[in-house]
Amino acid sequence: MSAATVNFKMRQVSVLLGGNPDTLKDWAAQWEKSRVLGYVAVIITGAGLYGAAMGYWRSPVQAGYNLVKFPLVILATTMGNALLNGMLAPLLGLDLRFRQSLMLVLMSFTIASAILGSFAPIVFFIVWNTPSLAGRQEVSWAAYNFVQLTQVVFIAFAGVAANARLFRLLHSLSGSSRVARKILFAWLAGNLFLGSQLCWNLRPFIGSPVLPVEFFRPTAFQGNFYETVFRAIGHLLSS
Amino acid sequence: MNDPQSTPPLLSPSSGGPPSLPPGASPDEAVPIANLVGAIEAILRQPRRVMFQLRQPGSGRLIAAMLTVSVVCGLIYGLIAGTFSGGTQLWAAPVKIACGLLISGFICLPSLYIFSCLSGSSARLSEVFGLVAGLLLLMTVLLIGFAPVAWVFSQSTESVAAMGALHLAFWFIATCFGLRFLGAAFAHYGHSGDGLKFWIAIFLLVMLQMTAALRPILGTAETVLPKEKQFFISHWIENLRAGK
Repeated sequence: MSAATVNFKMRQVSVLLGGNPDTLKDWAAQWEKSRVLGYVAVIITGAGLYGAAMGYWRSPVQAGYNLVKFPLVILATTMGNALLNGMLAPLLGLDLRFRQSLMLVLMSFTIASAILGSFAPIVFFIVWNTPSLAGRQEVSWAAYNFVQLTQVVFIAFAGVAANARLFRLLHSLSGSSRVARKILFAWLAGNLFLGSQLCWNLRPFIGSPVLPVEFFRPTAFQGNFYETVFRAIGHLLSS
Repeated sequence: MNDPQSTPPLLSPSSGGPPSLPPGASPDEAVPIANLVGAIEAILRQPRRVMFQLRQPGSGRLIAAMLTVSVVCGLIYGLIAGTFSGGTQLWAAPVKIACGLLISGFICLPSLYIFSCLSGSSARLSEVFGLVAGLLLLMTVLLIGFAPVAWVFSQSTESVAAMGALHLAFWFIATCFGLRFLGAAFAHYGHSGDGLKFWIAIFLLVMLQMTAALRPILGTAETVLPKEKQFFISHWIENLRAGK
């Protein structure tokens, strides 16, 4: 860890989670390398641990892969949409500089990652108490659904909490809930759109028990998330 | 540790300026736009500054700058679109997208001027030309923002229809913002009536037809330009039926 990252005190994470707009407004206005590196470190740690706990259900190797892949999805989504998010903010009524909008998105992902990281021990405990997927040909649907539902609840909670704080911050910056809502919606839509596809490219995160544990599937760059969803809906309607 | 007490630069709501006042009422809006980067900054953050500068003598340089950036951004986005098929499309798609946008603007410019006159607007032809250049600039700059997302999908799918739909969605969003700029500008020129709405419909149709007139922009074909004339809807339906 670099000296700059060490300068980022963990105390700042609790302030970030508290979401006090007055303090966060000042933080968002400044582009400080140590703070940015600190956010990246929290994302790598929090999201990595959560991903590892999730992947451990499949195998320890998958847990190791997820340690890298989960933060990678978040950071790649942030960087992939940085330019677009930076353009949308002023167009939708808030005159943010490119770095400021990047900082805000990074702060929101840092909050989500910190929350996810805090859930990692719980997920690990749940996975530990669930029959392992490793070496099995058949999985109990009850177990599978339970793990799946838990992931959905935890990730949704982290997402909602992070975006609620981002909304408060945007509202405080713009002085208008309408502008804040528009920007939040635009950023969310873009991040969800790209994030879903990146998750698809970087699959598996748990993986089928009948398929080998891999970092990437050989078909990682064949087809996309949305085509698969449409095809699934088509199959469902035609059956 | 970073000192949270230190005074940071203040963030402010977008400096769009009070809509009731004419562009240039604020001193910020009267600052000349010096270069290409300044033009991009201004169209994103201070569109009223662009509107004001277009009314000043010597606005030709600003118009030229906006068109230059539009072409460059169109070429870059086209290159990203071209990576879907590779080969010839690496140069053909950028040229087609940049030229298609520019030609659409030029084709619709006279009608926009006529509609603006009919609606009682005080805008001169050079100002209307500048506003179209601003529209194209905002569209293409936003397309650059979408480029990383488009690239990720280009590398992930082989379906021309899916990629076509994605590019159309990005184009539509970019166009909405561009047209919003145009609408705001004409509001200050005393434009009234539905003329602008009618022109917008024509402009959209012209650009959509460009997707058929310059096909293939995605995918491959024997020739760089089409041998047969086709309406854009039938071109799209053909592609969807082919399941490409």
